[in-house]
Amino acid sequence: MSATVTINNGSKQKGRAVIRPALRAGMIAMALFGLLLFSQGIWIHAKAILAQVLLDRAFTQSIETGQPVKPWSWADTWPVARIEFPRIGETSIALRGASGQALAFGPGHVDRSAEAGENGTAVYAAHRDTHFAFLKNVQIGDTIKITRRDGKAFTYQVTETSVVHWDQSGIDSNADGKNLVLATCWPFNATTSGPMRYLVKAQIAE
Amino acid sequence: MKIVTHSPSPQPLPSWLRYTCQAVWLINIVVLPLVALLAVFLAGPARAETAQSPLVTMDEVKSGTLLLKSSEAGRYIEAPRVATDVDIIVSGPTARARITQIFTNPSNGWVEAVYAYPLPEESAVHALKMVIGKRVIIGDIKEKKEAKAIYETAKAAGQKASLVEQERPNLFTNSVANIGPHEQVVVQIDYQEPVRLSGDEFSLRVPLVVAPRYNPAPITQTADLAADGSGWGTTADPVPDRDKITSPALDPRINAPVNPVTIKVRLQAGFALGEVKSPHHSIRTETVDAQTQIIALTGENHADRDFELTWKPQNSKAPAVGLFRETIGKNDYALAYVTPPVVEQKQEERPREIVFVIDNSGSMGGTSMDQAKASLDYALSRLKPADRFNVIRFDDTMTALFQDTVTANRDNVSTAREFVGDLEASGGTEMLAPLEAALNDKRPNDQAFVRQIVFLTDGAIGNEQQLLDTIAAKLGRSRVFMVGIGSAPNNYLMNRAAELGRGTFTSIGSTDQVDERMRNLFAKLESPVITNLVATFSAGNADVTPAILPDLYRGEPLVIAAKLGSLSGTLTIKGMIGKQPWEVTLPVAKAAEGEGLSKLWARRKISDAEVESTLGKISREEADKRILKLALENSLVSRLTSLVAVDKTVTRSQDKPLTRADVPINLPAGWDFDKVFGEQTTRKAGLESDSNIQLAKLVQGNKPVTKQAPADELPLPQTATDAELRIIAGLMMLLASAGLFFFTRKTTGKAS
Repeated sequence: MSATVTINNGSKQKGRAVIRPALRAGMIAMALFGLLLFSQGIWIHAKAILAQVLLDRAFTQSIETGQPVKPWSWADTWPVARIEFPRIGETSIALRGASGQALAFGPGHVDRSAEAGENGTAVYAAHRDTHFAFLKNVQIGDTIKITRRDGKAFTYQVTETSVVHWDQSGIDSNADGKNLVLATCWPFNATTSGPMRYLVKAQIAE
Repeated sequence: MKIVTHSPSPQPLPSWLRYTCQAVWLINIVVLPLVALLAVFLAGPARAETAQSPLVTMDEVKSGTLLLKSSEAGRYIEAPRVATDVDIIVSGPTARARITQIFTNPSNGWVEAVYAYPLPEESAVHALKMVIGKRVIIGDIKEKKEAKAIYETAKAAGQKASLVEQERPNLFTNSVANIGPHEQVVVQIDYQEPVRLSGDEFSLRVPLVVAPRYNPAPITQTADLAADGSGWGTTADPVPDRDKITSPALDPRINAPVNPVTIKVRLQAGFALGEVKSPHHSIRTETVDAQTQIIALTGENHADRDFELTWKPQNSKAPAVGLFRETIGKNDYALAYVTPPVVEQKQEERPREIVFVIDNSGSMGGTSMDQAKASLDYALSRLKPADRFNVIRFDDTMTALFQDTVTANRDNVSTAREFVGDLEASGGTEMLAPLEAALNDKRPNDQAFVRQIVFLTDGAIGNEQQLLDTIAAKLGRSRVFMVGIGSAPNNYLMNRAAELGRGTFTSIGSTDQVDERMRNLFAKLESPVITNLVATFSAGNADVTPAILPDLYRGEPLVIAAKLGSLSGTLTIKGMIGKQPWEVTLPVAKAAEGEGLSKLWARRKISDAEVESTLGKISREEADKRILKLALENSLVSRLTSLVAVDKTVTRSQDKPLTRADVPINLPAGWDFDKVFGEQTTRKAGLESDSNIQLAKLVQGNKPVTKQAPADELPLPQTATDAELRIIAGLMMLLASAGLFFFTRKTTGKAS
C-alpha cells in the first residue's frame, strides 16, 4: 500500500523536497519561541518570589536604619510596609507606588492613598497570580498586620470584600477613620487581564 | 487523519482528498495556535500598563514638549494642543464665522481634551461638526444636562465625542473625548454675530484668548435663607463654576506660545470701502472690488490677543440707516441699524458728577495699567471746574481718593492725577465693593448734576452675575460707562454692565487707541443723550428685541432685530435727542437681503430674557423657560443648551484609561505673569493666611494641574501578570512543534 502511495505521489516529490526543510525550520523556530514564552512566564513568577526575599532583607534593614533602602541598586522604588496575614500564614513586602515595574516585585502602595495607620484609606495593590493570589482565601474577620517602614505596626480587621470596576473603585482616600483596602484583579482564574478588581476592605482594630 | 494514512482499505483515497486532509491537519496544528496566540496578545490590552498611561516622568520626555503636572507627584501629562483657524464672511451687517479647532494628542495615552475659548459675546453658536479621518459627524442641539449625559456615555463607551458648552455668553468650552495616542480630531463650530457700528466705524472682534480670571473666594458669600422662615439657609459661591472657567495659563518667559491661529475674513461691506485696519495684528489685504476685500493674518500668530478689524466707508460717513431681512421657513426676520443725527446744540448744560473707578489688580499688570492710567489721566484733564468728581482704585482692597465727590478745581484735579500716576498693578480683583461705593449716591434726588460712573477694567473676573445684579439693583440716577482695557477684556461683562447701567462700552486695546477712544467717550459723556426710544412696525405682530431700548449716546446706532408678521409697512423709530423730539421712518419692503438674522434675533431674545431676570422683571424660572425654548428652536448654544456630536465607532477599549487634560492657554499679550499668578498668590497668602482653603483653591486653580478621576475615587492599577498566558502559549507552541516533528518524521519514513 505504501508503494501505491509513493507512485501516486511521484509527481509531487519535488515539491516535498522544498516544503520539508521549511517545515523543519518552522518547527525549530516554533519550539524555540515556545520555550522562550514558557520561560518568560516562569520568570515572572520566579522574579516575584526572588524579589520578595531581597525586599524582606531591605525592609528589615530600613526598619533598623530608619532610611529607605533600595532592594537592589538599580531599583526605582523601595519597600514601605510588611503585610501579614496570620491566619493563612502569608507575608508580603509592599513597595512604594503601584506602577507596572513595582508590581512585578511586590504589592504596591497606591500613590495618593493614605499611609497605613493614618486617617483615610491606605490602598495596596498586587497581582492576582503572584503576591495577592491568596487574597481569595482571606475571609471577613481575618486580621491583617501592617508594619510600616518606621517600625510601627497596625492591626486591621477585614470587614468586607467586593468586586468593582477599576476606575469606579469608590475608594475615598480621605474617608473617615483608618481604613485599608487590598486590591487585585478579578476574576482570579482568568488568563487575560480585565477591568474588574477584587477588593478586601479592612478597618483598624483598636 | 492518521486513519486515512494507515487505512487498510483496498480502495486508496483519491489523492486530492489526502492532500486536503493533510493540509487541514497542518493548519490545525500550526496556524491555529499562532492565530490564538496573536489574538490573545492583541486582546490583552492593559498588559503593559506603563506604555498606555499618558503620564510620563521627566526622564521619559524625548522631544521638546509641554508638560502639565498630574495628580501623581513627579509624573506629568503631555498637554493636548489646539490649532485654530477662523474663517469669517462679513455680509453687510452680519458676520458668519467658522472656527476650526484641530486637537492633537502628543502623548502615548488616551486623552480627553478640554479647551476653554472665548467667542464674541453676541455670537449665536449654532452648528458643530466633528471630523475624524474622512468621517464628518454633525452635532445636535440638546438640553445641557442631556447633552452632557450623551457625551459622558460616549466617553465611557470609548467613542469619540465632542461637547460644546457655554460657560459665559462669551466663554465656551469644547471637550473632546477619546483622542488616541498621537491622533488628531478636528472640530468645527459655526456662529453668527452682528457687526458693531460706532460713529462712522464698523468693527468686528474675534476674541482669541480667555484671560485668567480672578475668582473671588467664597468668603464674599451670598446667603439665601429658607422661605419657610426657619432662619436656616444656604450660602452660594459667587463663582459656582470656578473649575470650568480656569485653564492653565503658560508663563510666556518659559514656554513658547501655543495654540497657533490663522484668520481669514472676506469683507463684503455693502458699500465702497475706505480705510480697513487691524489694530493688533499685521494683515495682508486683497481687494476684490470696491465693496469687497479679503483680509488674512500674516506671519505666525498665536492665540494671545483678540483680533479686531475695523472699516470705514470711503466717503467717511457711515450710512445713517440700514435695514436687512431674511426669510426662514414661514418667518421673516429684520435687522435695522439707525444712527440718530448728531445735534450740535449747546453741550449738556448741567454739570456732571463723575466717579472714576480704576482697576489696578495684578491682571492689569504690564501695558494694560499704562493704558488705563493714560485713559484716566485724559479723563481728569477734561473735567470742567463746575463738575464734581471722585477716584476709586481697587485690587483686592480699595481706596476712595475723596470721602465724597469734590469740585473739580485745579488742586483737586492735580491731587487726583498724582494719585493715578502712582498706581501700580498687583493683587486680586475684588470688583464688587468699589462698584457699590461708586453707585452709592449721597444725593439721589439732585437733578442739578448728571451722575456718571466711568469704570476702567479688563473685567478679568468670574463673578460677573454678582456685579450685574448690583448694577441693576442700585443704578438710580447714575449711568455706568465701561472702559475695557487690554488685549483680551471680558467684553460680555463690559457690554452687559453698560447695558444695565444705561451707559456705553468703550474698548481700548492698545496705548495708541487711548486718545481717540477716550475722546469719543467724552464726546458721548458731554453730548445730549437720546432717550425714550420706541420702535414700531406698522404691520404689527412684530417681536422686537431688545425689549427695553437703550439710551443712546452720540454716534451710536440703535440696533434692533425683529421677527415679523409680514414684510410690509414701515418701521418707525421715535425718541428724544436731549429735549428735541426725533423720528425716522423706514419702508420695510425695501430691506436688503441679509444672512443669519434669525439666529441673531434669537440670540438677542436670549439676552433679553437674561437682562429681564437680572432686573427682576421676570423670575429666573420664566427666563430659563424662554431661553430653553428659543435655543432649542433655533439650535443655539446657551446657558441651558449644548451641542454634542458622537461618533458611532468605539475606538478606545474599556481597559485603557482615559485622562482628562485642560488645554493650556497663552497669557494675553501684555500681561505680566508674576503679577497675575506669583504675586497674587503670595499676596493673598499674606493677607488671608487665616483662610487656607482659599489659598489652596487659588494655587490649584492657577497652576497647571490636571484632574484625573475625581479625587474621591482612586483608580486602581492593573494587577494581573501575563505569566500564565505566556506559560500556556509557550507550552502550546512546544506541543505544536512536537506534533509537527512527529508528522514530518512519519511522512519522511513513508516516502523512503
